Amino acid sequence: MTRAATFVVLTALAWAAWDTGADPVRLLRGVPWLLDFVRRMLPPDPSVLPAALRGALTTAEIALLGTAAAAVLALPLGFVSARNVAAPPLFHPARIALNFLRSVDTLVYALVFVAAVGLGPFPGVLAVVAYTTTSLAKLYSEAIEGIERGPVDAIVATGATRLQVLRFGVLPQVLPLFLSYVLYRLETNIRAATVLGFVGAGGIGFYLQTYLRLIDYPAASTVLLVTVAMVTVVDAVSSRLRARLI
Amino acid sequence: MVEVAGLRVVLPPAVVAVDGVDLVVRRGEFVIVLGPSGAGKTSLLRALNRLVEPAAGTVRIAGHAVTGAAPAALRAVRRQVGMIFQQFNLVRRLSVLDNVLAGRLGYVATLASVAGRFPERDRALARDCLAQVGLAHLASRRADTLSGGEQQRVAIARALAQAPSVILADEPTASLDPALTDTIMGTLRRINVERRLTLVVSQHQLATALAYATRIVGLRHGRVVFDGPPDAATPAVVERIYGGPTR
Repeated sequence: MTRAATFVVLTALAWAAWDTGADPVRLLRGVPWLLDFVRRMLPPDPSVLPAALRGALTTAEIALLGTAAAAVLALPLGFVSARNVAAPPLFHPARIALNFLRSVDTLVYALVFVAAVGLGPFPGVLAVVAYTTTSLAKLYSEAIEGIERGPVDAIVATGATRLQVLRFGVLPQVLPLFLSYVLYRLETNIRAATVLGFVGAGGIGFYLQTYLRLIDYPAASTVLLVTVAMVTVVDAVSSRLRARLI
Repeated sequence: MVEVAGLRVVLPPAVVAVDGVDLVVRRGEFVIVLGPSGAGKTSLLRALNRLVEPAAGTVRIAGHAVTGAAPAALRAVRRQVGMIFQQFNLVRRLSVLDNVLAGRLGYVATLASVAGRFPERDRALARDCLAQVGLAHLASRRADTLSGGEQQRVAIARALAQAPSVILADEPTASLDPALTDTIMGTLRRINVERRLTLVVSQHQLATALAYATRIVGLRHGRVVFDGPPDAATPAVVERIYGGPTR
């Protein structure tokens, strides 16, 4: 069994390597060009710093606004797709819809929304909302499915309505997890939003792409450094908050 | 106060936990359902307010049908039936007072309560119930910071906040230090005597049942094998309940 599985995995990997033209020699031959690329990026051009910072601010705004809206929109979806609280006629279609929508990435949504509402940060926000809503709904529903049954029973036994049971029996148990998932999504959305500019959906990615196209590598490297700094700061703050929640 | 007829509970996959129980509990009785673990005590109690759906039989509480009741009617019955659990079942992250306030959920408006707003008289009642179990000073603590014995007293306060006509208590002392048994059972007896509240309490310990019950219902394999006052519980009766020499 394990031997057969190993054989299948190795065969698949070998085929993938051949099909993608993965070639260590080719990589080695490319190393000088990589070094040349890095050398040409140095030193970074400080004159584009204001533009890069403005782009970073937009990217942070896209991630923040999109994540916040999704955090709220995902709430009802999370409850209707949790096996232990939703009625089966709601649960099954909700699960299928979520799995289907979740298979589309933020960047693909961005392409769609740029076509729908035009260029700029707004389609970026919409793209973040679309992807994050479904992915948070899935995480929410799993948190709800993992709750302790006892406190819920106790609230039911008081004669509480369904909504009251959710509010007093379920929500207190899942809220810290929900917040932690939202923060985690904020971290990944900051990263995802840095490339939204590539497809015209605003933010720092727009500057990166522009300078790369203009072959202005020192300017591009400034943008890249700002991106790295922003992602690092958001990650650090967010993971510290998350550690405190659990 | 509690009328049970032909009650049968089948747990998945196909375990008959309660097998045709008939039982009438009168107002003010302190009934202890006694039996070894696995006798069906928990299933019997949970079927009384339909936390588990009985497979057959009827339950009436305070004159209202429990079995067959529509959702709104069922909630109306449930709010006058306090329930105490072996594992306390407090909502850990809520404050002690909020846990007691949960006992008022059946009486207050859904939307206001969901927004966290409770009328002042409900809050006052909750504080009063907490004082009755001697824990007024812990009102603002988070529930999971309390000891097991304190948590169970909060759970009793929550049941009292329902202004119930019956309290069901499922093995209320089984997860506690034996030294706390008398604290909890004594609190229940005080409620029974002072408020003339009807109590149905399950227990697996004979000594506790003998000390506190006004009536013992012996359960074995989901059937009632004894029903009478504690002083009628002879060794032969005990053997019928436990199926062997007593401990």
